[in-house]
Amino acid sequence: MMLSRIADSIFWIGRYMERADNTARILDVNYHMLLEQPPDTYKLRWDPLITITGERKRFYQKYDEASARTAFEFLGFSEDNPNSISQCIILARENARAIRDRISRELWEDINALYHKINKLRDAGEEDLALFCDAVKKGGHRFHGVCNATLPRDEGWHFLQTGCALERAEMTARILDVHYHQLLEGSEILNEARSHAWMAVLKSVAAYEFYKRQYTHIEPEKVAELMLLDSRHPRSVRFNLGIVQSSLYAISGSVPGTYGNEAERLTGRAHERLTYDSIDEIFSGGLHNYLQDLQETCRTIGAHVAETYLHYAVTA
Amino acid sequence: MSTAAQTHTGNQLLFSGYDPGSFYDELIAPNGLPRPCAAAMYDNLSNMPLDVFDERRKLADLSYLVQGITFTVYSDGRGTERLFPFDLVPRIIPRSEWDVIERGLAQRVKAINLYLQDIYGPQRVIKDKIIPRNLVYSCKHFRREMVGLNVPRNIYVHISGIDLVRDSRTGQYLVLEDNARSPSGISYVLENRLVMRRTFPRVFELAEVLPVDHYPAELVEILRSISPRPSDRPVIVLLTPGLYNSAYFEHCFLAQEMGIELVEGRDLVVVDDCVYMKTIHGLTRVDVIYRRVDDDFLDPLAFRADSLVGVPGLMNAYRAGNIALANAVGTGVADDKAIYAYVPKFIKYYLGEDPILHNVDTYLCSEPDQLSYVLEHLPELVVKAVGESGGYGMLMGPSSDKKTIEAFREKLIADPRNYIAQPVVPLSRCPAFDPAIGAMSPRHVDLRPYCLFNGEDVRIVPGGLTRVALQRGSLVVNSSQGGGSKDTWVLRSDE
Repeated sequence: MMLSRIADSIFWIGRYMERADNTARILDVNYHMLLEQPPDTYKLRWDPLITITGERKRFYQKYDEASARTAFEFLGFSEDNPNSISQCIILARENARAIRDRISRELWEDINALYHKINKLRDAGEEDLALFCDAVKKGGHRFHGVCNATLPRDEGWHFLQTGCALERAEMTARILDVHYHQLLEGSEILNEARSHAWMAVLKSVAAYEFYKRQYTHIEPEKVAELMLLDSRHPRSVRFNLGIVQSSLYAISGSVPGTYGNEAERLTGRAHERLTYDSIDEIFSGGLHNYLQDLQETCRTIGAHVAETYLHYAVTA
Repeated sequence: MSTAAQTHTGNQLLFSGYDPGSFYDELIAPNGLPRPCAAAMYDNLSNMPLDVFDERRKLADLSYLVQGITFTVYSDGRGTERLFPFDLVPRIIPRSEWDVIERGLAQRVKAINLYLQDIYGPQRVIKDKIIPRNLVYSCKHFRREMVGLNVPRNIYVHISGIDLVRDSRTGQYLVLEDNARSPSGISYVLENRLVMRRTFPRVFELAEVLPVDHYPAELVEILRSISPRPSDRPVIVLLTPGLYNSAYFEHCFLAQEMGIELVEGRDLVVVDDCVYMKTIHGLTRVDVIYRRVDDDFLDPLAFRADSLVGVPGLMNAYRAGNIALANAVGTGVADDKAIYAYVPKFIKYYLGEDPILHNVDTYLCSEPDQLSYVLEHLPELVVKAVGESGGYGMLMGPSSDKKTIEAFREKLIADPRNYIAQPVVPLSRCPAFDPAIGAMSPRHVDLRPYCLFNGEDVRIVPGGLTRVALQRGSLVVNSSQGGGSKDTWVLRSDE
């Protein structure tokens, strides 16, 4: 038995932690890649980052230009950006605090410690970007480790999994979408730089080593194939929708191959497509549309999870 | 790093130069040597170099921070979280002293419960002229809705926290006030012990300290026993006002320790006079609510309509006997500070016994002759508002300037029923570490034991919360006034 409010908080702990982690990865990889590039590519390569996080409008209200400094400030710890890393961690911690009696003591202490650590770094300058991102990424790994080692596999666990996986699926789709767009349109980019950029994309989803073992050259289609359709990599969209699907089944008791609510139906359909679509088919139909559709599906699944379990109406 | 000065302070002994002074000291006898109960602790701590002690002190602080046992100060706009200061020197109570305290508290809690049962029932205590009707009915926390209502197993105060102080002049414990609504602080008792055991494992080995960690198990047993539905597994919840309540940590802690659901008002709904909680799979019936929400905010339909933390219809469900509440509604009519003056009479009246623990002398400003005495002696007295707690609405005569006293005088004259006055009790002291001088220094303390009443017996975890006024000379132990806490040890024997 689980209170809807508790399930809601657990779900959002998963989402916020994952959002913080992904944002740190994108920021970190980009920064390091650009250290090796001529300075005039700066603007071009910081701008997409802002787009990935879906906060373009808010960013350009505050800053004239996307640079390492402004992007770090905005995505790292700005209080004006509700999706900045430190805001995500604050919200994850608030949710954890609200349900600390329902999670393990270890998990609460871990999230709380991460908050204090990030809080100390909040006035960090550009030169501390790597340190900051590293703390967040390690915090993300610790978070998953502590969850894995201390949480019972009850309904709460499955809401956490749903939150994490849904966020990660959407993030991976968005990273791919934005970079693909930029890299194809920005024809002035040198081939060599382009290949560097794809490498950075792979690194931001921790898939570079895995890619290199399977493919020889960096090719956009192959990168997309891995990030979208791979059945084994823990950051691919297919992998994560698979987790969402099995967690939703565990919560409702639905049998695989059926669905008990709209969230399950949409997840099942999206997962099926990612299992049987080939990357050639996806490209010929237009990658951008495919990715837009996927992101929209992720958002709709989230809304249906909330409607089914978290915020349903009670008629007295 | 090792400058001469640091080496010197590193070797300084913690108790060197400690002077217990003219107040009663809980641990150190007037000759400067430890009392028998404190001998083992003293031997261990007095030989500990300052730098080792300081290191452990920082570790202890860190563990509170990591666990998030903090309270939030909103005044600076950033919502800074502060630690409730914890002093590492334990307050030690010899067994024979504790036995007296325990019997005295049990007696008091039983009498308070019988009084509540009487007041919301036949009101014999009024008819027999033990207490004036006016005084009872004018209590801010008297609840008309409770009159004639039977509560499960006749228990009104399942949980109470009775504040005790030791009078330095006589060495006797006195009751300073009763808290019969929802006293907080027990989580600090349990956490302090945990931290203490981790910080000074060796000291624990030597001193035989009675355990405290069975409190949640005893409380949940009582909650189970008042369920209105006969069932092996009644659904019990703890109702909290939410995340931003200053005792939120405690609510979480207790819910977790008892293995019960922590709920907010918005998680509950009343349908056909039954209480349900909203779960991911629909509504689940609730049997018992350990509520940490004040009466006023419990049910916007019955009490304050602007309450956002309550449950609409809860009082109807309570009156219908479909839900049990702990503590019962209306227990504030027992811990009103004017009613407090009558508790010794209740003990005599209901139990036929002489009070084991005495009250502090109390002047009721509602009585004209007592009021005129109070008005003449304001600079020597402590004046308290009767319905408040936590050190609010208080005048500390001896430490207040003329202007404050005069302003208070007007309030007193305007609404005498709202105030009582007491002489200033010279509270006992206990050594506490003073970081400013890097050594122990005596500080005033009080004691709040937590009493559980199961309808027959009163169970008290040995010790309770010792609050300490960390500022030199201060008699105010409230956390908002720079107070801290200590681990409280009751020893298996006297030494």
